Amino acid sequence: MNGYIVAQQVINGLVLGAIYGLIAVGYTMVYGIMGMINFAHGEIYMVSAYLAAIFLALLTGAGLHAPPILLVAILLLTILFTALYGWSVERVAYRPLRDASRLAPLISAIGISLVLQNYVRISQGARNQGIPTLIEGHLRWASADGSAFVQVTHVQILIMVVAVLGMGALAWVMRFTSLGRACRATQQDRIMAELLGINTDHVISTVFVMGAAMAAVAGLLVTLNYGSFDFFIGFVIGIKAFTAAVLGGIGSLPGAMLGGVVLGLCESLFSGFVNTDYKDVFAFGILILVLVLRPSGFLGHPEVEKV
Amino acid sequence: MNFREAWRVAVQWGGVALLLFTPLSGLVLDGYRVVFFWQRPLWLAGGVFLGALLTMMLLQASRTPRMQRFFTRMSSGSVVERQSALPVWQGLLLFAVAAGLPWWMGHYWLNVMILALIYALLGLGINIVVGLAGLLDLGYVAFYAVGAYGYALGSQYLGLGFWSAIPFCALLAATFGALLGFPVLRMRGDYLAIVTLGFGEIIRLVLNNATEITGGPNGLSVPAPTILGLELTRVAKQGGTPWHEFFKVAYDPSVRSILIYLVLLVFLAMLYFFVGRLQRMPIGRAWEALREDEIACRALGINHVTVKLSAFAMGAAVGGMGGVFFAASQGFVNPTSFTFFESALILAMVVLGGLGSNGGVVVAALTINILHEVLREFSDYRGLVFGLIMVIMMIWRPRGLLRIRRPFFPVGKAL
Amino acid sequence: MSGRRWSVVAAILVACGVVISAVPAGSAGGVVRIGVAGPLTGSYAAFGEQLWRGAEQAAKDINAAGGIDGRMIELVKTDDACEPKQAVNVAHRLVDAEKVKAVIGHFCSSSTIPATEIYAEAGILAMTPGSTNPKVTERNLPTVFRTCGRDDQQGGAGAEYVVQKLKAKRIAIIHDKDTYGQGLADAMRARLHALGLKEVLYEGLTRGEKDFNALVTKIKSQTADAVYFGGLHAEAGVLVRQMREQGLQAPLISGDGIVSQEFVASAGGPRFVENVYMTFGRDARKIYTGRKVVESFRKAGYEPEGYTLYSYATLQSIAAAMTATRSEQGDLLAQWLHSNKVDTIMGSKAWDAKGDLQVTDYVMYRWSSDGTYQEAE
Repeated sequence: MNGYIVAQQVINGLVLGAIYGLIAVGYTMVYGIMGMINFAHGEIYMVSAYLAAIFLALLTGAGLHAPPILLVAILLLTILFTALYGWSVERVAYRPLRDASRLAPLISAIGISLVLQNYVRISQGARNQGIPTLIEGHLRWASADGSAFVQVTHVQILIMVVAVLGMGALAWVMRFTSLGRACRATQQDRIMAELLGINTDHVISTVFVMGAAMAAVAGLLVTLNYGSFDFFIGFVIGIKAFTAAVLGGIGSLPGAMLGGVVLGLCESLFSGFVNTDYKDVFAFGILILVLVLRPSGFLGHPEVEKV
Repeated sequence: MNFREAWRVAVQWGGVALLLFTPLSGLVLDGYRVVFFWQRPLWLAGGVFLGALLTMMLLQASRTPRMQRFFTRMSSGSVVERQSALPVWQGLLLFAVAAGLPWWMGHYWLNVMILALIYALLGLGINIVVGLAGLLDLGYVAFYAVGAYGYALGSQYLGLGFWSAIPFCALLAATFGALLGFPVLRMRGDYLAIVTLGFGEIIRLVLNNATEITGGPNGLSVPAPTILGLELTRVAKQGGTPWHEFFKVAYDPSVRSILIYLVLLVFLAMLYFFVGRLQRMPIGRAWEALREDEIACRALGINHVTVKLSAFAMGAAVGGMGGVFFAASQGFVNPTSFTFFESALILAMVVLGGLGSNGGVVVAALTINILHEVLREFSDYRGLVFGLIMVIMMIWRPRGLLRIRRPFFPVGKAL
Repeated sequence: MSGRRWSVVAAILVACGVVISAVPAGSAGGVVRIGVAGPLTGSYAAFGEQLWRGAEQAAKDINAAGGIDGRMIELVKTDDACEPKQAVNVAHRLVDAEKVKAVIGHFCSSSTIPATEIYAEAGILAMTPGSTNPKVTERNLPTVFRTCGRDDQQGGAGAEYVVQKLKAKRIAIIHDKDTYGQGLADAMRARLHALGLKEVLYEGLTRGEKDFNALVTKIKSQTADAVYFGGLHAEAGVLVRQMREQGLQAPLISGDGIVSQEFVASAGGPRFVENVYMTFGRDARKIYTGRKVVESFRKAGYEPEGYTLYSYATLQSIAAAMTATRSEQGDLLAQWLHSNKVDTIMGSKAWDAKGDLQVTDYVMYRWSSDGTYQEAE
C-alpha cells in the first residue's frame, strides 16, 4: 500500500472530522445546558451558508475585493445574522416549551428545521448555489520522482485551525469566565441556578447564540471548501455532526471535536480502503458499538441515577 | 388596556423579523450576484408586526382569561374517569361509516385514506414504544422497512402471499426489535434515540446497497393481494384467475384498493382495541410506570429488561405489519420511502395526538395525512406550513390534541 | 370512551368529506386535460421546471393552432418530488380526481416505474420525456412510451467514447446509488466488459453529501485515466471539483443527468468543468423545425435546455395521436403510436413495440471552461 495514499486519506479524514466537530459543538453545547437535541442546528448551518454567499456577493458587488478584509467582513456579518437566527429559534420554538415533556422541544425542533428548509427553498430557489473561490492554493509534499504526493489546501488548513481554536475558545469561556460559570450552574440544576440569581433564560439564549456563531464559521469555511451548497445540506451534515457529538460524549466540548475526528477518520479510511458504499453503515455501526460498550461516549460523564 | 406594552413588543418582533428576512428573502442569489427584492422582507416583517400587535391586544382583552381556561380544561393533562359502559354502538357505527367510505369516495381519496390508516397503524405501534414505555425511538421506520421488504422479498424468494406475509413480517420485525432492543436497553433517553436513529439508517443503507438481493435503489415489485386464488389485477400475474374474468364483469382497478382498505381498517380496529386492553393489563401498567420512574419500578421488582423488550418487540411488530400494507398498496417498494424523515413524521403524529393516547394518535394520523393532501394544492408551501403547525401545536398544546383519559378503579378495602 | 372524543372523530370525518367534495371533478366539454408530473420541489426541481416549461409552451402553440380537433388542451401540473410514494399518490390523483386523458412524465425513473403501473391499469397513455431507465418500457405495459433514449444505449455510447475516442485504459465507474445513476453506471460497465476492458473501480457515493475526497483519493490510487459517473449534477459537480483540487486531471464522463447550468454552479465555477463529457440526445435547439420554438422560449427569457424540448415533443406526439385517432383511449392511442410516425420539433419520431424510440442518437458533449457545452469530436 502506498504511504502517500494512506497519508492523504488521513488528511481527508481529519478535515472532514474538523467540519463535523465545528458543527457538533453546537449540538453538544445546547444538549449540555438543556438536555435536549436541537435538531434544527443543521439548518442553522445551512442558513449560514446562504448568508455567507449573499454577503460575499453583496460586498464584492459593492467593490470590496481585498481578500483578507473581505473574508473578515463576511465572517462578522454571517456570524451576526446566523446568531440572530439561532436566538430567534430558541425564543420562538424552545423557550415556551421549557417545562413541557421531553419530547415536545424535539418535535418543535423538527418543525423548525422543516420551516427553515422550506423558507430558504421558497425564497432562494431549489437550485444548487455556488460560491466563488476566495482562498486558493495548497501545500504539497511530493515523492522524489513527483509521481505521488500528499496535499492539503489552504482552506482545509484554515478549517482545521479554526476548529481547534474555536473549540479552545469556547472551552475557555466555559471554564474561566463568569458566563461559563453561569452556564455550568444552569446545566447542573436550572432551578437552583435561578434561586441563586442567574437569569437562566439569558444563559440559554447565549448558548444558542454561541452555537449558531460556530455554525456560521463552519457555514462560511465549509462552503468555501466545497464551492457549492443547496437548501438540503443541513440535514446530512447535521445527522453526522450529531452522531459525532454523541460519539464523543454529548455535553463535552473536547468530546465533540474528538467524536468528529473519529467519525471523519472512520468514514474516510473505510471509504478509501474498504468500500464507499458501506461507509455510513460502518460509521453508524461504530457509533452503536461505542455506545453499547461505553454508554456515555468517549469523554462524556456517565449519567448518575438520582433517586 | 396597555397599548404601550403591546406596541413595544410588536415593534421589537417586527424589527427582529425585518433583520431575519432581509438577507434571505430580500437578497436572492443569482449566480455570484444578488438580486434585490426589497418589498418581500417589508411585507413579511409587517405581517409579524401586525400579528404580534394583535396577539398582545387579544391577550389583554377582558374575555381572554375565560377562553384560556376553557381551552386548558379541554386539553391539558390527563383525567381519571369512571368508564361509562363501553359505547359499543358508537364504535360500531364509526366502523360502519369508515367501512362504507370507499364506495362513496373516489380511488384517489381511497388511496389517501389507505396511507392515512397505515400511518395510524404505525402511530399506534410507535405509541407503545415512545408513548407508553417512554423509549424515544428515532429509527422506527426500520421496522416499517423490514415489514415492507419482508413481504417483497418473501414473495420473490419464498412465494409468500399477502395473507401469510402479515404474521410473518410482524414476527420478523419483532425479532429485529428484540435484537436491537437487547443491547441498547442499558442506555437512556437521548443515547437510545441516536442509536435507534443509526439503526434505522443502517437498515435503509443495507437495503439500498445490497443490489443483488433487494434490487438496491430500483426497489422491488410487490404482488397484489389475492382472495381465495382470485387476483385483483387486470392480468393474472401469480397464476390465479383475475377476479373480473371469474365474475365476468368489467375490470375496476379500485377493487384492490377497497380490499386493502377494508383489511387495514379491520386490523386497525383490532389493534386499537388490543392496545387499549393492553394498557389496563399489568404489562401496560408496567410500561407506563417504567416511563415515569425506572428506579422505583426496579425497586418494586419489575423486570425492566423484559418489560422494555416486550414494548420494543410489540411496537416493531406493528411497524412490520404497517410495512406489509404499505408494500401491498404501493405495489412497489424502494429505500427512499424509509428515510429518517419518515420516522420523524410518525413521531410527530404521535406527539400531536398526545403521547400515550391511542385515540389521539389515530385522529392525528388521519388529520396530518389528509391535511398533507389538501395542502398539495399549495405544494410549494406545504413543507413550510407543516413545520409551522408542528411548532405551533407544541407551544399551544404540548400534550396533544386530546386529553389523556385513564381508567378509574375504585379504591378497594384495605387488607 | 365518552361522547366528546367520538365527536372529534366525527368532525374529522366530516372534514374529509368536505375536502373530498371540494376537489374539481372531471373535465368540461371541449377541453382535453393532460397531466404533467415531475419534480417541482426537491433537489430535482430544475428538471421538473424543464418538463413543465416545455409542455406549457407546446400546449400554448397547439391551442393557438386550433387544438386537438378544435378542443383545447388543458394541462394539470403536479409535483412528485421524485419520491415513489408521492408519485403513486399523484398518479391516483391525476387518474381519479383530475380525470386526465394522458400524462407527460414522470421524470425520475424511480417515480415513473410505479406511477405508470397505475396509468396502465386505468388505461391512460403515459409518455415520459426523461426517464431513461430500461425497466420503464420493459414491463409489458403497452400504454407506456418515452421520447428519450434508454440508459443501456446511453451507457453504451459513453463506454464506446471512453474507449475509442479518449483511449482510456483504466476506468473508474462511480454512481450515486439511485435508480437512474446506478442503472446508467451498470449499462456503461456492461458495454465496457463487452469491449474487453475491465473497470479499476466500481463504487457508489451517497447523495446529498459534499465530501468525496476519500473517494477521489481512492480513484487516484488506482491511477484511473477516466472516470465515468452515473448520477446527477449536484454530486457530479462536487466530485469533479474535488478531483481537480486533488490534482486528478482525468476526464469525467457522465450522462444526461448533468445537462443543466446547475452543474456549473455545483462545481463551484466554470473553470472546474473543463474536460467533462456527457452523453445526451442530439441538440434539438439546432434542428430546423425546433428553431422557431427555441426563439419563442428565449423571447420569454427562458433557455430551453435539457429536457424542455423533449417535453414539448412529448405533448406534440400525444396531440398527434389524439387528432389522428379521434379518441382518448389509451390502448387506441398506443396502437396508433406504435405504427405511425410523428413530426415533432425534434424531428420525426417513431416507436417500437416496447414504446421506446426506434432511433435514438446519443451524442457526446464536452463542457468547456466558460461554462458551456458543445458537441465533442
